Amino acid sequence: MIQTRPFEFMTRFTPQTEWIEGPGVRLWLAFFFIELGAGMFFISSLFGNLWGMFIGWLICIVLGGGFHLIYLGHPFRFWRAFLRPQTSWISRGLIFIALFIIFGAIHMGLSFWATSPLGLLVLIDIIAFLTTIYGGFAMNYCNGIPLWNTALLPVLYVVAGFWGGAELALGVILASKALGVAGLRIEELIRILLAAFIVLVLAYLTSVRYGSAAGRVAVGEIVRGRWWWLFWVVVIILGIGLPLGVVIHSLRVGLAATPTVLLSLSIFFELLGDISLRFLILKNGFYNPLTPISSVPSTQL
Amino acid sequence: MRWGMVIDLKKCIGCWNCVLTCKAEHFLPPGVLWCRVLISETGKYPQVTKHILPIRCNHCKEAKCVDVCPTGATQRRDDGIVWIDPDKCMGCRYCMMACPYQARVFYSDEREYFPGQGLTPFEELGRQLYQHQSGTVEKCNFCMERIDAGLAKGLKPGVDREATPACVINCPTKAMYFGDLDDPESEVSMLIKQRKGAQLHPEYGTDPSIYYLE
Repeated sequence: MIQTRPFEFMTRFTPQTEWIEGPGVRLWLAFFFIELGAGMFFISSLFGNLWGMFIGWLICIVLGGGFHLIYLGHPFRFWRAFLRPQTSWISRGLIFIALFIIFGAIHMGLSFWATSPLGLLVLIDIIAFLTTIYGGFAMNYCNGIPLWNTALLPVLYVVAGFWGGAELALGVILASKALGVAGLRIEELIRILLAAFIVLVLAYLTSVRYGSAAGRVAVGEIVRGRWWWLFWVVVIILGIGLPLGVVIHSLRVGLAATPTVLLSLSIFFELLGDISLRFLILKNGFYNPLTPISSVPSTQL
Repeated sequence: MRWGMVIDLKKCIGCWNCVLTCKAEHFLPPGVLWCRVLISETGKYPQVTKHILPIRCNHCKEAKCVDVCPTGATQRRDDGIVWIDPDKCMGCRYCMMACPYQARVFYSDEREYFPGQGLTPFEELGRQLYQHQSGTVEKCNFCMERIDAGLAKGLKPGVDREATPACVINCPTKAMYFGDLDDPESEVSMLIKQRKGAQLHPEYGTDPSIYYLE
């Protein structure tokens, strides 16, 4: 039922390709790093972790912004995207990122040399939140792709961004070899975000699966298609199962007694699972066909 | 005024002439198609039905591509034509994602029709007369140059050949009609009314300006 050959374009469920194939891979990475960096900044700022904020800010600018720019057909025209925030989520996203860069730098500078005012912290956290949410809304606006056109997608992306950010922030604390109260608080936050992520993934896939024909096809491709192993092995077992196991272990023995190797593995596989899920969501963005669909499988034609 | 098109699927024979005409009219480079002909089959032998559907940009009244364009490169004119200003497009391809009809195409890089053998006279002429910017998104513009030039001469699009989109006047079976959808007396409005013209996927709420007759 899905397009597998060029001449089947829009006569079967046709996947989008521009945002995932060839140079489109850059946009997949851009969305991931923007949300991860902003999420890490947000979580680190709550605990006054300057290194965490700085690394999150750098990830957002260098990797997120960089991949965004090199994806564009005409990167030097990016400034034009500031002009249409009234209707375009890409335009809004660019403004959020620009504000995040400016106010993030001011906040970190003040925190380093003096004390940053609480008002600025609240402002930059709001901007960081908006930066994590814009990618989901940009995709959600595309009503031709049922897999993306669901209100759960932006929420899923925000939770994924914050969870990844919290894991990385914990990694920064682990690297400094001083777990402290901040480490324990972040671990508590990770437990909540992990539980929310599991619920959201289930709710998202279920709602899309039963929402439309293209949604059913898309979810079917995610769980049984060409990339099934990526979903089951990397996203579910390694990306969710392993961090869940580490969380349960740390609940039983305490975070301080949990081996650093285990925590590091949990961080690594959480990020791998997150980026893989985003890949699958982009890869399986199917459009409804424009002509009646043949009941004959493509391979038998 | 709202320019629109009616395509009679009973007359269309799937000859791809509209596709070739469009290629020639706009000097489209390799890999770039502004209109396509979709062909599919349903049923099983001996009861097989063949479906032929010529598609191009629908010039939607509620165009998603116009809304999502972050630079304002995609614009909707007062006469309903949705067009792209290549000088403003930054190549983010968000419009391609937002178009549920997949009527847009990204012109990634300049290529020759016969790689390594230089440009054909057609390509050389095209580069002089109708330049395409690589790294931008392109799509059907309802031959707005022909419409504008025709209107300037006092001609009527849809009636006078010189002011009518190239695909419409070159259709060998006269399956395509062009005219003002806002004029209830126009040929397109009458056809839509009499033969219950249908839009593609009206559930998206885009209100396309192309109607199909079955």
